[in-house]
Amino acid sequence: MSATAIPNSRRPRGPVPNALTSAQLPRFVELYTLLAALAVSAAVLAMIGFNIVGWLVLTAVIYLVGLGILSSVVENRRKATDRVIRGVVTIAFLLALIPLVSTLVTVIAGGAPALTWDFITKTGGSVFNPQTLKVTVVQGAWQAIVGTLIVTGIAAVISIPIGILAAIYLVEYAQPTQWMARTVTFLVDVMTGIPSIVAGLFAFSLFTLIVGPKAFSGFSASVALSVLMIPIVIRSTEEMLKLVSNDLREASFALGVTKFSTIVRIVLPTAIAGIITGVMLAISRVIGETAPIFIAASFTDNFNANPFSGAMQTLPVMAYSGYKFPSQDIAASYQSAWGAALLLVILVVILNLIARIVARVFAPKGLR
Amino acid sequence: MTDSEGNTVKFNKAAAAGTIALASVLALAACSSDGSGSPSTSTSTASKPAAVDYSSLSGTLTAGGSSAQANAQAAWTAAFTAQASGVKINYDKSQGSGGGVTNWLNGSYDFAGTDAALSADQFTQAQTTCGSAGGVNIPVYLSGVSIIYKLDGVSKLNLDAKTIAEIFAGKITTWNDPAITALNSGVTLPSTPISVVHRSDGSGTTANFTTYLHQQQPSVWTWDAGTAWPNSIGSGQQGGSGVVNTVAAGNGTIGYADQSSIGDATAASVEVGSTGKFVAYSEAGATASLDASGVIDAQGDGDLTVAIDTTKITSAKAYPIPLLSYDVLCKSFKDSAQGKLTAAYLGFIVSSTGQKIGAKNAGAAPLPASFQTKAADTLSSIK
Amino acid sequence: MKSLQDDRVGTGSSQRPGSPNKGAGTARVKARPADRIFRFLSTGSAGLIMVILAGVALFLIIKAGPAIVANWSTTTDLSGGTTHGFSSFWAYVGPLIWGTLFSALIALVLGAPVAIGIALFISHYAPRRLAGVLGYLVDLLAAVPSVVFGLWGIFVIRPFLIPFQDWLNQYLGWIPLFSGPVSRTGSTMLAGGVVLAVMILPIITSISREIFLQTPRLHEEAALALGSTKWEMVKLAVFPYARSGIVSATLLGLGRALGETMAIALIMSPSLVFSVQMITDTRNSQTIAANIALNFPESNDLQRDGLIATGLALFVISFGVNFIARLVIARTGGPRRAKKSARLTPASDATSLLTADAAESPVSIRSEQAARDAEAGDERTELAAEQNEDR
Repeated sequence: MSATAIPNSRRPRGPVPNALTSAQLPRFVELYTLLAALAVSAAVLAMIGFNIVGWLVLTAVIYLVGLGILSSVVENRRKATDRVIRGVVTIAFLLALIPLVSTLVTVIAGGAPALTWDFITKTGGSVFNPQTLKVTVVQGAWQAIVGTLIVTGIAAVISIPIGILAAIYLVEYAQPTQWMARTVTFLVDVMTGIPSIVAGLFAFSLFTLIVGPKAFSGFSASVALSVLMIPIVIRSTEEMLKLVSNDLREASFALGVTKFSTIVRIVLPTAIAGIITGVMLAISRVIGETAPIFIAASFTDNFNANPFSGAMQTLPVMAYSGYKFPSQDIAASYQSAWGAALLLVILVVILNLIARIVARVFAPKGLR
Repeated sequence: MTDSEGNTVKFNKAAAAGTIALASVLALAACSSDGSGSPSTSTSTASKPAAVDYSSLSGTLTAGGSSAQANAQAAWTAAFTAQASGVKINYDKSQGSGGGVTNWLNGSYDFAGTDAALSADQFTQAQTTCGSAGGVNIPVYLSGVSIIYKLDGVSKLNLDAKTIAEIFAGKITTWNDPAITALNSGVTLPSTPISVVHRSDGSGTTANFTTYLHQQQPSVWTWDAGTAWPNSIGSGQQGGSGVVNTVAAGNGTIGYADQSSIGDATAASVEVGSTGKFVAYSEAGATASLDASGVIDAQGDGDLTVAIDTTKITSAKAYPIPLLSYDVLCKSFKDSAQGKLTAAYLGFIVSSTGQKIGAKNAGAAPLPASFQTKAADTLSSIK
Repeated sequence: MKSLQDDRVGTGSSQRPGSPNKGAGTARVKARPADRIFRFLSTGSAGLIMVILAGVALFLIIKAGPAIVANWSTTTDLSGGTTHGFSSFWAYVGPLIWGTLFSALIALVLGAPVAIGIALFISHYAPRRLAGVLGYLVDLLAAVPSVVFGLWGIFVIRPFLIPFQDWLNQYLGWIPLFSGPVSRTGSTMLAGGVVLAVMILPIITSISREIFLQTPRLHEEAALALGSTKWEMVKLAVFPYARSGIVSATLLGLGRALGETMAIALIMSPSLVFSVQMITDTRNSQTIAANIALNFPESNDLQRDGLIATGLALFVISFGVNFIARLVIARTGGPRRAKKSARLTPASDATSLLTADAAESPVSIRSEQAARDAEAGDERTELAAEQNEDR
């Protein structure tokens, strides 16, 4: 942790040392304290039985306490607080990094062996040998990749404009006290609580009314995902728009710019990075949904690129069903499940990259 | 028991047909009744080398339900579409039996897979979906419930119904309990506590297993049979794979799962009745078991609901805990072409070839021959 | 991009002098077609939200109605199967509501502080180059589907927590939370809570980070210039500015925790009981969403209605939680930028902190002055942001 913390102390933005009254700890004090903490906790644990988790936890505690005491004795209470908080934040980060990295490693380790070119570009299926009556399963994810892109793509096309426009309405047009603004804010709150399976049922019932009982389609799954996605887009966009300084709006109005132009040319570009982060979060959130998809789009191993008719397969459903309903060859099923999960993550990475490029293009020059 | 005698005869014929099937598979695959062929009687179906040409069929079947059938359906689909290249079949295993029946009753499915036959209520409801003729249950998938365990150093275990019931009721809590050691002479059982693992989701496997416990040991297993695990003993896991994984990951664990999904897990041998004979699962064992315990309890014309009484299983060749799953469909379809297609596919499933494919690829046991022929009969009347 | 075209025309013409401007927020420049269309679209979108939600609510109520009013012990469809053994809907949903709240609370307690810590680390502590990569890594995690978190929970977290749970029970078993008997399979509420906490991390972190980064530079510099340590700067300039955003981010995280289905369904061994025990096999309170997912497939029509009715309860819960949170924000000063009102500096925070420090700080600080300076700084912020390449 000191590796990341030390360069900070050289940064000009850090606390300015005050040579007038207080002494200062040497520059690498954090590293020294850390080493000492590691040694002490190792020694303590050596007496009562060593384990790696206990060692790290104890080290963290000793480090924080030690650094706090040291700093408050040599420096002052404020600096001690600062150092301890820096330690806490860094530890929080490292702590969080463990499960995050562990998840990624698990997905990559599980999925990498499955990721062959054939797996990506071939439709999964099975080959029947009439001589031996043996059915050989061919692993392939192409139908699921296409399904995921179509279903999520349509959901995004529906939700992003509605979500952003509604957020603009809330922040730019509506008076906070207006009944409609209040109602919409309230409804968005409620919408965040829709269980995903209920969204799936809702969409499926809706389409049953429209197209009759065999309403399974990629599009109805998209509608289900939209119901889940819209509130996230609104919530995050609203926050980002609120952060745009009023001064900018006022300056724009003062120049006689219309409200529409102000919003499109000043407010949105200023907030674009945040909005895109929110949109990507929303996409990431729904792209991995399983329950609404198998309710609304059913399940298939066949290739289907028509969102308006027929069952559709997606990557998360593939991962889920590969785990929950493995074939006779359990290992192969698990591998293709992990492969689908890894593909999904990769897909999102690509989408994220595209989104960042888009954000960069539209963001005002000089802003980040 | 004239019925059972008849079964034996038919069984032999079917077995003979099976031998031929291996020699000329394609022809035989085509021979199964599909409902569109010439009138077929129960005995002639399996042996008649009729020419049903699946290749002329086309269309899409939308179906779903029981996850127990999932692997078998995948195999059947592959085999069927290999011959009928114009047909697409989507079987949604994630729906579960309840979801399958619900969707079928709503008209969303051509047929549904379900671990429990339609109830009387559902039969009545089916008349609104299918017209006055209503629907039928066709048994298609037979397997067994395996008692799987993981106990370091113990690779073979015998259990009887009473012990199983007591373990899953939380009355026996350690592996070296006298009740278990008495059944396993020569095996050193450790004092490891028993961790029971059961399904946390509603499940046909649970229903079959609790039916067995309830029929065999009503005094120990005081709960009714049902799809939900009834007591608060042990750890609940989602799906058969969840139970299998959790049992395999622990030590001293015991659980139950559909035989076809247990993979490498170790399964206990179960005593047949109180004969003192302990039987491990085998496909023939499951077939024999249904032959002995299952009686057609038709709820309507052509319906093939099977009432299973596990206490009737006494043969040392039979596996005592069978698991049977049905497909339900309308007797008369609104779209007759769709009806023909559905009946053709299901006819393929219940043919001896179809059942063999299920056995080879999904760990299923072939249905007894009498069931195969009855199913073929019913399917031939589907319009 | 038709709108941009329109907009360019709009800008060009609007540069004519004399456009009426009735002051800040209520600027009424002569409405042009694009203006009116845009206003109509955004208002329409907001209206559409109402329609969608009305649709969902109607659907839920129609579906849930029969199961809510039915007598569960005498209706055959409900007295067996997955809803076996409950006298009424309320007896069924009660433990589920508790389980939902409890698991979300665990996730929030474990996850939210860490998430905000990470966001702060990325935005203010980590070296800039590293921060970009780290931010990206966290965003990536938001993309991991919940099924994968569930599998990860089963294969990694469950075995990892088993010795820890033993330890907890051994030393802290007298606390009801950690009372035994300890699970030997690891499918506990604690395992579920930990995975939920990890799942809500990326959501809270991503949004908080964006908001922290939006803190006006001059606020921060003003604080530093006054001799604040970094932490004091964060407390003075960053947190007050970001409060509403942090709460929103946390609520989104909470929303996910409340509604999370697959991870809990895969990991936890559930029972429908009121229980605070976290490390047993048989006393983990089930959550609504996981219960729906587990029992939906095998349920008959009326049982499904019952499950949908529990979904309605989840609806109500998430609304309640949001409502309370909004109330809390309003009580504690509200979203910092009440629209159309002059911006407020969080004077109370600044005052208390800086006066307290003034006594011992070498640089004695006048709190009011600091507040005023910060306000002045704010006005220049956006300009600075525009010019500042480093930002």
